[in-house]
Amino acid sequence: MGLGDEVSFLPLGTEPGDPAVYSIGAVERMVGVPAATLRNWEERYKLIRPERSGGGHRLYTRTEVEQIRFLAGHVESGVHAAEAHLLLADRLAAGTAVASDERREVTLLVLLAERDPFAAEFAEFFLRTEGYQVALVFDAGEAERVIEEEAPQLVVVEWLLGGGAGRELCRGVKDGGVASCLVVSSLDARDEALAAGADAFLRKPLEPLRFVSTVRDLLGRSAYLAAPAAVA
Amino acid sequence: MTTGRLASGSRRLDSILDGGLPEHAITLLIGLPGSGKTILAQQYLFANATPERPALYLSTVSEPFEKIIRYGQTLSFFDQAAVGRSVVYEDLGAVLDQGGLAATLERITSLLKERQPGLLVIDSFKALSAYANGLEQRAFLHELAGRLSALPLSSFWVGEYAEQDAAVAPEFAVADAIISLSTTRVSERELRFLRVLKLRGSGFRGGEHAYRIGVDGLEIFPRLADEADVTGYMLDGVRVSSGIAALDEMLADGYWPGASTLCVGPSGSGKTLMALHFIFNGARQGERGVLATLQEHPAQLERIAAGFGWSLGEDGVELLYRSPVDIYVDEWVYELLDAVERTRARRVLIDSLSDLQLAAPDPTRFREFIYSLVQRFSRQGVSVFMTSELPDLFQINRLFDDGISHFADNVVLLQYVRERSSIRRALTVLKTRASHNNPEIREFRITPDGIVLGEPFADTAALV
Repeated sequence: MGLGDEVSFLPLGTEPGDPAVYSIGAVERMVGVPAATLRNWEERYKLIRPERSGGGHRLYTRTEVEQIRFLAGHVESGVHAAEAHLLLADRLAAGTAVASDERREVTLLVLLAERDPFAAEFAEFFLRTEGYQVALVFDAGEAERVIEEEAPQLVVVEWLLGGGAGRELCRGVKDGGVASCLVVSSLDARDEALAAGADAFLRKPLEPLRFVSTVRDLLGRSAYLAAPAAVA
Repeated sequence: MTTGRLASGSRRLDSILDGGLPEHAITLLIGLPGSGKTILAQQYLFANATPERPALYLSTVSEPFEKIIRYGQTLSFFDQAAVGRSVVYEDLGAVLDQGGLAATLERITSLLKERQPGLLVIDSFKALSAYANGLEQRAFLHELAGRLSALPLSSFWVGEYAEQDAAVAPEFAVADAIISLSTTRVSERELRFLRVLKLRGSGFRGGEHAYRIGVDGLEIFPRLADEADVTGYMLDGVRVSSGIAALDEMLADGYWPGASTLCVGPSGSGKTLMALHFIFNGARQGERGVLATLQEHPAQLERIAAGFGWSLGEDGVELLYRSPVDIYVDEWVYELLDAVERTRARRVLIDSLSDLQLAAPDPTRFREFIYSLVQRFSRQGVSVFMTSELPDLFQINRLFDDGISHFADNVVLLQYVRERSSIRRALTVLKTRASHNNPEIREFRITPDGIVLGEPFADTAALV
């Protein structure tokens, strides 16, 4: 039996040469998730199942720690634990390494300025599935604060944001010259949006695939300029 | 700004909906149990689902998941290979039982994120209301509709609602489109009808459209309700022979192609025979014909035809025979239209309107439907010959109960004339549109060579 055959027997997402060495207490300190929560996640979602030592103690691999860090990051930003597991499962199924994306993701923040909480919920979910950090706001004032304090690379603006504020916000982003601006609306406001300085326009309801690929395209450019090392 | 359309897989249903349901809409499918709601919903799913944008079928409590699958398999469009890939079935029953509407909403939301479906069915939607008081239900509807509208998703809420629930059930206000399926009982027959009650942002063909349920799902027969033909008649067109020498002789200007002729008379007066002349002589002049009969059985008809040297098997003549006790008018008319289109016929015989009327649900609908049929054929330049039976042998009170004679271009009356111990036949052209006619009462005889006109009756006293 060759080495390749052996590798295929490893649990999904595990890298060869990644021995199970970390105790649950160590993982708790490393990622800041209580041991009780880790056990609970393991039992409920059966996604990250560490090896057991001869004495029955859990032992985590480096890869598993990164996966837990991925989960913790999402839970911290408001995603439900079940959904965070769903995201992780998708990643693993797609064969995407969690750790390397985690590093890239830190540099890519998308500000979502929405009007409709339902549309926001889905847009945020789809962006997070792709590994982006998301800041979500529901009015233009709050959006301006986030732009100033957190410097997102992309702002997604709902054109009909409270009383025509969408247009102003888009203009502001353009004038700032740092972030890209993607305007979304149920209205066919393509011309007005582009005139106000939008980099792209998408008609609602948003097709998940088109939405994330548009975001990826817009951010891809800024990601190269801002942090070439992260992409490499 | 136009929205995209969602096709049903049935051209006729889409034509009722002005091209299809609006894309990304919430459609309420209502009707009593057994009316075919679940089948129609599945028809839409299989016609539109793709692995990239799958369809999600969520059963609740009154439509058990197992049964939907089991009976679904009997339908021709149920593609087993698509199940689990582009059409995904899920049972919400347990979630609903244990966690109520809140847990159900959460489950639906997760499924929307996870599967990113292009279509969604909730069956039965009405069953959900049993799990909530009015306020909870409204909040649930608001939350669900909000989520569904935020995604590029066409959804179907299927429920055992009645049309009168529209005033009280909030689902009716939330829905973008409402399709109602119902059954009407007309003298021992069950007739199924589809009605569009609401179609946001679009026109639709109103009224009741008959349908049948078969292995191909719902087969729809849209109500024939054609607009008046404003193009008029081709008055400079070439006149042809009607195929009935006696009639040609009575029409001073000849016979117009595309004209409709109604031939009325008592039983045995020669209506069917005259109609056969119209069809067979037409075919021999190169005008194909469809012979739609509810009167004579094909064997009887063949015998009559043989007496004049014709045969039902000859080229250019298509027979459409249906027993008058077993036809559905709405279905029959589409068979006729299809036969005319298929054979590229230029002549159509309907023998007889009296039989057809017995199969029609009501007189208004029957009149509307004959009018539309005649209009449609006239636009296509197809000549129609219709027969109608008069109940009385000698005394004529009126030509046709439902004013059908107004729709026909030519009206020919056949009568019996008593003369001492014998009975003779008389022909009168009562009406010709866009042509002159000779309003004489002429004797006619039926001979092996056809219908031969005699002299005008000198003494009209014999006619009543």
